[in-house]
Amino acid sequence: MTAEELRETIARQFGRSLHIRTLDTGSCAVCEQEIRLLTAPHYDLHRLGFFFTPAPRHADLLLVTGPMIRAFEVAARKTYDAMPGPKVVVATGACALGGVYPADPFTHGTVDAVLPVDVWIPGCPPSPLALLHGLGVAVGRLAEKVRDLPFTADDHPERTRGDS
Amino acid sequence: MTTVEPRVVPGAVTTFQVASPDLEAVVRDLADLRLADMFASGAEHTTLRLVWANDTAGQAGYVVTETPVDSGEYPALSDIAPAAFVEECEIYEQFGTRPAGGKPLNRMMLPPHASLPTLGRKPPAEPEEARAPHMVGGQAFEFPFGPVRQVGVESLYYGLVTSGEEVVDLYLFTWHKHRGLEWRLQGKTPEQALFLAERTEGLSAVAMTWALAAAAEAAAGVQPAKAAQRTRAVALELERLYNHAAAMAALCQSTGLSVGQSAAEIALERLLRLNASAFGHRYLFGVIGTGGASRAPDTDAIRDELPGAYSEFKRAADALLGTNSFVDRLEATGILTADQARDLGLVGPVARASGLTADARLVPGGPYGTQPAVATATAGDVLARFTVMLAEAAESVRLIGQFLDAGTAASTIELPRTAGTGLGWAESPRGEALAWVALGDDGRIARARLRPASARNWRGFDDACRSQNVFTDIPIIEASFWLTAAGMARLQGRRRMTLWFIRGIRRGVVTTRYPARPDASARFLPTPPAFRPRALTRVTADRLVASCPSGALRRDGGVLSYDVGRCTACGRCAAEAPAAVQSSGEFELAATARSVLIKRIPLREER
Repeated sequence: MTAEELRETIARQFGRSLHIRTLDTGSCAVCEQEIRLLTAPHYDLHRLGFFFTPAPRHADLLLVTGPMIRAFEVAARKTYDAMPGPKVVVATGACALGGVYPADPFTHGTVDAVLPVDVWIPGCPPSPLALLHGLGVAVGRLAEKVRDLPFTADDHPERTRGDS
Repeated sequence: MTTVEPRVVPGAVTTFQVASPDLEAVVRDLADLRLADMFASGAEHTTLRLVWANDTAGQAGYVVTETPVDSGEYPALSDIAPAAFVEECEIYEQFGTRPAGGKPLNRMMLPPHASLPTLGRKPPAEPEEARAPHMVGGQAFEFPFGPVRQVGVESLYYGLVTSGEEVVDLYLFTWHKHRGLEWRLQGKTPEQALFLAERTEGLSAVAMTWALAAAAEAAAGVQPAKAAQRTRAVALELERLYNHAAAMAALCQSTGLSVGQSAAEIALERLLRLNASAFGHRYLFGVIGTGGASRAPDTDAIRDELPGAYSEFKRAADALLGTNSFVDRLEATGILTADQARDLGLVGPVARASGLTADARLVPGGPYGTQPAVATATAGDVLARFTVMLAEAAESVRLIGQFLDAGTAASTIELPRTAGTGLGWAESPRGEALAWVALGDDGRIARARLRPASARNWRGFDDACRSQNVFTDIPIIEASFWLTAAGMARLQGRRRMTLWFIRGIRRGVVTTRYPARPDASARFLPTPPAFRPRALTRVTADRLVASCPSGALRRDGGVLSYDVGRCTACGRCAAEAPAAVQSSGEFELAATARSVLIKRIPLREER
């Protein structure tokens, strides 16, 4: 996918504003540092139509780091539930994918043990370039979800999109 | 048992036995030293250890006191040494042993009603969530904040006590990030333990692994080669440089100065790329090995790129110090007095900005000698912490040059499998990182204590936030501490951020064209391995599986199963069998199905 195609996809599906909420479920702080650098001049995430938002209510994409500490599970679920659909969850980094901590009394060991993950980004940490690639993949996944949405017209409840 | 009066031997760790009834008197005796750490070990017979540091240049060294506390109680030390309170709480949670006198203890690591494994006996009762009375004229209330906070920052939960705008008190709860690291290290070899130590606080990966490796070396009686020690020091100073650049970016963000933030981030990104080209990892993972260093730096890369990256850093720093609105915001914000810093046993730039001299690099015997010029300030505010960091960054550049001139190399020593105990330290960007290990007869870890600087300095955070400060100061103070979960003399320059900004636009920074075009910086990134099936026999495959610290490799009969998702690209498999493994160079690995990340490689049949 070229930058132009990516921008167009985001523009078409989300009015040029795909919003990302980050969630740390027990990382070592390095994944967060790489995520923060996405908005730095060298990477400039905004040029591609991505934005960060502190409010899960405004977020389309949940970028999750860390091995999902059990004590954090409630906060993780609440954050996910507060997001409107369609939404995608991106598990980020080796901790989130099960490479550092096993499932044990402290951690679930992977993010997908608790949240429905759509995209997995390997790396320890994933570099900003790897994160950009992963976000591009996530846009494709989100577009699929949008396409599959069963829309219902308010004034014609019997008619849903896809019916002719 | 008679009490020996503990004395510090410069450059050494001196251990003394102290009987429980004498402990209080000894702690009073040692009041002129800094209480650096306190921890317990032993589930059956619990021993309490206090680590004391002498921070005076030329006399720097450590004293460890050992006290058996089988009775389930020990003298209440935080009454005479306030720095001990956090550890008293922690020891109660982990070992069920508490200070005498029945004082209430706070909850530290164990979440309410959870049954997590502990290092020793379970505490007889839940901690009491003790808090200072926080009614101010009947008007104060508590405002819970977190654990999910701003974007791109770690999870942290704090209770903010406020009367509306003024910060009356602030409590931290860190159990959302408690990963049981010390519990996990039990039974591991020191070599294996480095993998987790690196991820304790990834932004001080070098310092934490150095401290743990040094502790294990002391326990096993091994001394790293001089050139390997200098390699460690080069990595540690590079770690300091990028962290201080990141702290500068965070300070700009917290003050809403996006031009300055971008300038600091340009310096930060250049320093991280320098790390990658010099040591193969943006955050310097994998540099420290037991008995030395696993990787040698690309010295040419450092000599070529460090001056440019640092001048970027310096340019941003100078512009910021010439921007009055920025400096005004930092001045007199989040003040910590020298007494507060001393009482709480704070370390690093936070302590040095309050006039203390604690710096683990000054302990004789390491690669630093008498070299480092330690920057201090006296105001104790955010501006003081910022200027201390700037002075330290300049000193780091100078030190790196000296270490490169003296010669660096990679060499490790396999530790003998013997029992012993040892203390290790390294000065992380946030301050002294400590580690203590007890090795069993098989050379495996019986008890490891990891104490990154953050574990120390968070306890100063609420003091810095209290009283004079308002809500909006908190992010600024947090940035100046630059922890994980991580100047008085104002320059009278004419530089203004706006002018600097226009210059920046003229000069231009090339934003990556990725994903439209490839990015040249990608070639320095650590990438997961690619396997040569022709060179892979079952025997080789089993060696690779054993070398992998993250469980990414598994052998199923005649097939090697490789999970890219779990891989940390640490390079241990490539080091184990260079003929069968090479770096793939691929970083575009994200997938929409977990199974796509698992590859199955058929093994060559042996004849």
